Amino acid sequence: MQRAVRHAIPRAVFRRVLEAIAVALILATICFALVHAIPGDMALRIAVSRLGVENTSPAAVEQIREAEMLSRPLIAQYGDWLRAVATGDIGRSFVSGRPVAEELLGASGYTLRLAAMAWLLSYAFALPLGIAAGLAPNGALDRATALAAAALSSLPTFMIGIALISVFVLSLDWLPPAGYRRTEHLVLPATTLALGLVAPSVRIIRNAVVEVQDATYMTYARIRGFGRIKAFVRHGLRNASIPIVTFAALQFAYLMDGFLIVETLFNYPGIGDAMVKALLARDVPVVMGCALLIGTSYAVISLLADIICMALDPRLVDEGHGSR
Amino acid sequence: MAAADRRYLWMSGVAAGLVVSVVAAVWHRDPLHQDLMVALTSPSLRFPLGTDHLGRDVFARLFHGLPRSVGIATAAVAAAAFFGTSAGLIAAASNRLVAGALMRLTDLALAFPGLLLAMVLAGLMGGGTMPVLLGISLAQWPQFARMTRTIAATVMTEAHIEASRLAGLAEWRILLRQVMPRVLTQTMALATLGVGGAVLTISSLGFLGLGLQPPTPEWGAMITELLPYMDVAPIQIAAPCIALFLTVLVCMAAGRRLAEAR
Repeated sequence: MQRAVRHAIPRAVFRRVLEAIAVALILATICFALVHAIPGDMALRIAVSRLGVENTSPAAVEQIREAEMLSRPLIAQYGDWLRAVATGDIGRSFVSGRPVAEELLGASGYTLRLAAMAWLLSYAFALPLGIAAGLAPNGALDRATALAAAALSSLPTFMIGIALISVFVLSLDWLPPAGYRRTEHLVLPATTLALGLVAPSVRIIRNAVVEVQDATYMTYARIRGFGRIKAFVRHGLRNASIPIVTFAALQFAYLMDGFLIVETLFNYPGIGDAMVKALLARDVPVVMGCALLIGTSYAVISLLADIICMALDPRLVDEGHGSR
Repeated sequence: MAAADRRYLWMSGVAAGLVVSVVAAVWHRDPLHQDLMVALTSPSLRFPLGTDHLGRDVFARLFHGLPRSVGIATAAVAAAAFFGTSAGLIAAASNRLVAGALMRLTDLALAFPGLLLAMVLAGLMGGGTMPVLLGISLAQWPQFARMTRTIAATVMTEAHIEASRLAGLAEWRILLRQVMPRVLTQTMALATLGVGGAVLTISSLGFLGLGLQPPTPEWGAMITELLPYMDVAPIQIAAPCIALFLTVLVCMAAGRRLAEAR
């Protein structure tokens, strides 16, 4: 029995890894299809975005068509694209002419810093609130957090950001409004993202804690004479953490949506900002690079979450998938 | 019962008031009319919510924006619900191969962040109603498929389905007449929540300048346009913010209530 389980873990993990690779592959294909599904001549679009409308001549368009190899058959271009994605060389920006990978590497560093800060902040708020609310269901704190969470999740991220700017920048003048030079610049964007994250995570943590409290093994622990806190730490914490870890991965999807908004609002030089600027300039290689990066990192993170869940609860290994 | 009746009365009163305001606004005011002489004026009798930086009536823009946002959101979610529910029902009724393929597809589609999908589509296709609608539908259908499949799979194991099958009813008929009604209540709940989410997405796209294109009155875009004038025109920014918040809140609350009611 013990041995069978030990063999099963790598197989389940292997299956999830394959799934993640499939997600990345399909994402790359969708990106390629999207680029070629946009109406209009791509060479002309590149020429206009590089040279400006006045300077674009038919000769320049043809030159770009040659240089970017746009006249080759679609299937060959698809093959080139997949090979390029696999090697990490996904072309050059139409606008700046620099390699996309290089541009995104710099931006992703900024985004990671912001993500880490937002995540930490959100759990600093959500964990104590959620556990306290879950230990006393239907108490005053529980109802207050439920109300606040409902209101907060109806607010678009950009409105949270605007509210923070108007209070801390325009009225109090405590913090710099936008850009990134010093650590202070991280405070407002990270708080905006964290507030958006707190609303759902407080409820998830609270529900997980309530569910564990109702379990029979908790009653048994209490009967054996453990105090409420001790019983929860000994028996509840590990069980309660499974839905929380699963949800933490889902939160990354929320964060991705959040980056797009928050980085634009605060003019923060991360991936979201790069993507929105590229979309507005129709800089297709950069857009594709961002979409690929975001999609694959999402796949990797949900993969990690599933593996952590399997480690926390070996029963999940038999079912073949960690989350849900 | 009396309390619920009073609440419905109250709610329909608010709804009627909204409808009247919308009709009045659409009837009377042009949301695109610019008059730079009255740019950024404070609220007055002539302009109940003031004017924006181009001297356009914020009140008129607000109420022209409401049916547009909610309409696009509803259409997008309806499409997502239709295709998602169909996929879920088919997966529940078909053999392992088809069901497996459909559910894998759903998992893959669920793996992409929603706003990202809508944004790439709207951005690359140049904004406008169709790309936004398409992007939202593509982002939302997998949730409907997953939920329908889960509910339908449990319903299919019940005895009365077996009885219908023995009585010789066709599979599609069992699906439509006996399984679908059980799924629909939950679909409605999810769809109501989805409309709230879609309104958020539309406004976020508008905020980024990637959604409906100016000068179309759209709440997110209205907020962005006025952002540089935040200190002189606070009410003009607050109005679309509050409208957006209330619209989404109503959808979310209604969706949650529907989900609990069953």
